[in-house]
Amino acid sequence: MALDLPSIIKNFDLRKCMQCGKCSASCPAGFESNLKTRMIIYMAKSGIDVLDLNELWSCTTCYTCQERCPKGVKVTDAIIFLRNLAARRGNFPRIHLTAIKAIYDTSNGFPLTPEISKIRSLLGLSKEPADVAHNEEALSKFRRLMESIDIINMIREAQK
Amino acid sequence: MRYSLFPGCIAKNLYPSIEKATSIVFKELGIELVEDPYTCCPAPGVIRSYDFDSWLVIAARNIATAEARGIPLLTICNGCYGTLGAADRYLKEHPESVERVNKFLGMIEMRYQGTTRVIHFVDLIKERLPQIREAVKVELDLKVAIHYGCHYLKPSAHGGENPERPEILEKIVECLGCESVDFPEKLSCCGAGGGVWSGNEDLSMAILQRKLNFIKKAGADCILDICPFCHLQLDQGQKRLKTRFEIPVLHLNQLIGLSFGIKDKILGLHTHMVSTRNIAKNAKKARKDLLQ
Repeated sequence: MALDLPSIIKNFDLRKCMQCGKCSASCPAGFESNLKTRMIIYMAKSGIDVLDLNELWSCTTCYTCQERCPKGVKVTDAIIFLRNLAARRGNFPRIHLTAIKAIYDTSNGFPLTPEISKIRSLLGLSKEPADVAHNEEALSKFRRLMESIDIINMIREAQK
Repeated sequence: MRYSLFPGCIAKNLYPSIEKATSIVFKELGIELVEDPYTCCPAPGVIRSYDFDSWLVIAARNIATAEARGIPLLTICNGCYGTLGAADRYLKEHPESVERVNKFLGMIEMRYQGTTRVIHFVDLIKERLPQIREAVKVELDLKVAIHYGCHYLKPSAHGGENPERPEILEKIVECLGCESVDFPEKLSCCGAGGGVWSGNEDLSMAILQRKLNFIKKAGADCILDICPFCHLQLDQGQKRLKTRFEIPVLHLNQLIGLSFGIKDKILGLHTHMVSTRNIAKNAKKARKDLLQ
């Protein structure tokens, strides 16, 4: 999918937005923060740059706004792709690099710890799950796959 | 029928009690689960927010793993379903993306063909309600606060329940001899998704606090979830908040396990952060009554 603001406006029907505010009224993150979904969609469809807004990262992607939009605007999908643009610009919560790095290193976002390994044994499960993390050949292949996709280059750029 | 179980990072590496309950319940139901070499789904909230195309490749690798076996992939987590279900649907709707994804997968001798299905475990339970009713040994009689979470219901392109008026978990709870309590914003998010859990702890906890306040007022004995990530937020999150809620949290497979007469220790309920002692006591008493 082409990644630029005009494509996002077109692919997710942002022009159909009539500013009714149903999205903001439905937003669980909006109740507790400055996230104003309606404003983000208004700005994006008007061609105003929203990529520096921290609130872009307050959305929990629950999809309630998208489900309820009377005009069929793909609100949540648009926010996800706006984040893709923001990330390319280097605007993102740095803490996420830990999770992305964990996936590259171990193939899991939450890697196994010795404590949990012990609990697994106590429960009669295998000490280590039968996943890629514990299969050397599969893990090295997975890392090769990770090396070839964009996200790794992106975070390497961010860490420079 | 055989399924390739996709436990997901959290059930494997943070809440193995959920993995254990899943294996017990599915065995009781006569459904065979096989293990396969999977990676993180990858996490929809984080990975998809950074690079959609990378997210799609990693997800396709997982789907292709089940596909190579020729059986459906079964998830026990809304997050994994939100990734694997959405990625599978996207690839089936965009043949040009399949070609692109396979260029990457080809490098590691794999291939996505779109011949398998991604299934959320609740949909399997849904088909087997009479069988479950038969298998219930102890009536727990708990007041349950149902938490659907987001990504089993939404986006509704998944198909399945009406996201504004879902009924399946209420039916299951009733079938187990428990009562579903109503509370405001029952269908709202727990605050974990979208990278908010790791990226913005204050906001994540504020959303959780709001949800738990409603659940507390409803007088629930426990919270029921169908997603290890919601489970992590609801269980571990209670320990991070200043308010002491102390509401036990159960994944659906744990509640079904208890109803089937499986002991709480075997299900690993004692490994949760919020004490499940009252639930265990209740189950023990119900088992005793049964023997008299």
